Amino acid sequence: MKDRFGGNQKRARFQALCQSLRPDLLRFAFWLSRNRAVAEDVVQESMLRAWKAQDSLLDEAAAKPWFLTIIRREFARTFERKRFPVVDIDQLIRSEEPSLAAAEEHDLAEMRAAIFKLPDEYREPLVLQVLMGYSTAEIARELGLSGAAVLTRLFRARNQLRALCGEDTAQDPRE
Amino acid sequence: MMDHEAYRRALLADPRSDDAELGAHRAACPECNAYTESLLRFESRLERALKLNIPVPARSLRPSRLALAASLLLALVVAGTVWLAAPRASLAADVVAHVVDEPQSWISQGPVADPKLAAVLKDAHMRLRAGAGAVSYASSCEFRGHIVPHLVVQSAAGPVTVMVLVHEAAAEQVQFDEHGYRGVIVPVAGRGSIALLMRKSDAQIKDVEDIAARVRAAIVWSP
Repeated sequence: MKDRFGGNQKRARFQALCQSLRPDLLRFAFWLSRNRAVAEDVVQESMLRAWKAQDSLLDEAAAKPWFLTIIRREFARTFERKRFPVVDIDQLIRSEEPSLAAAEEHDLAEMRAAIFKLPDEYREPLVLQVLMGYSTAEIARELGLSGAAVLTRLFRARNQLRALCGEDTAQDPRE
Repeated sequence: MMDHEAYRRALLADPRSDDAELGAHRAACPECNAYTESLLRFESRLERALKLNIPVPARSLRPSRLALAASLLLALVVAGTVWLAAPRASLAADVVAHVVDEPQSWISQGPVADPKLAAVLKDAHMRLRAGAGAVSYASSCEFRGHIVPHLVVQSAAGPVTVMVLVHEAAAEQVQFDEHGYRGVIVPVAGRGSIALLMRKSDAQIKDVEDIAARVRAAIVWSP
């Protein structure tokens, strides 16, 4: 997004970009942090960092992965700064109950609670793949892992998730 | 030839994979084909579960005849009621939404040149004494159908957004904490209200209130 435009146009384009991506970015930050307030803070700080660094975004079509990378880094910084206490998953699920509720389908709320229970290293690649549409290679690049390691984590993520959701796992491969 | 175990393992890692070898195994194996169908149903639920709806702050109103008409109608309907005298629940949300839409305002280093600042403050018939702190951003913004001054003042605790809302009456001081911002709406007798907010990472509500008192004391209203 080179500054080919005047200041106002540049600002308007950036705002439009933020506006269009914000719902997805909030979802991603929520699944990363499992806390809506933290997710909102992280997205807000990330938008500011993105504005400062907007000249490094050369192609608007690549804006989403660019923002996601900024969010991951901002989340890591927030985590370092705040030193969150040891997580009690059940308490976490209770506190985020309104966000996890799914009026239309009860089993979605159960699925969301199960996703909360996945370890971070399994939950994050799963969210990148399913929610953000990342390929294995893109996840590997984002997380600094090999393709094989990503596939293993994705396998384990679904394996655990299916068990947590009470699916019939008799035919699932074992570890 | 891939065996069932390897097929299902690969499928659990990426159920939407279009790998040719996986496709060949699925076509030749009714058991694994049924397993795939079942897994894709699970995957569909997983997608829906991940796409939860997190409300984002509503956008502030942009100028339009409809919006202006709606504001006037609303004002007429509720004029004289206690509800009008109190800050509406959505005022803080609208202020936050406005600030969210102007992330660059936090970054400006300033200071804003005096003529520009004076021009912005003229909208609210006011000027600002030096005691308010250095103004690093000043813009005449559309907010709820009016042009209002939107400033960012530098403080020891970090940048503070100040919006002077002469058209928004408030009965009492109200704190808010949403979408990563902490702030207060301070009533100003006969002059509507002032909204101040800071990023949560920068300050506590006490900091915002202290700065609000300082900014308010630095405002000089024109007749």
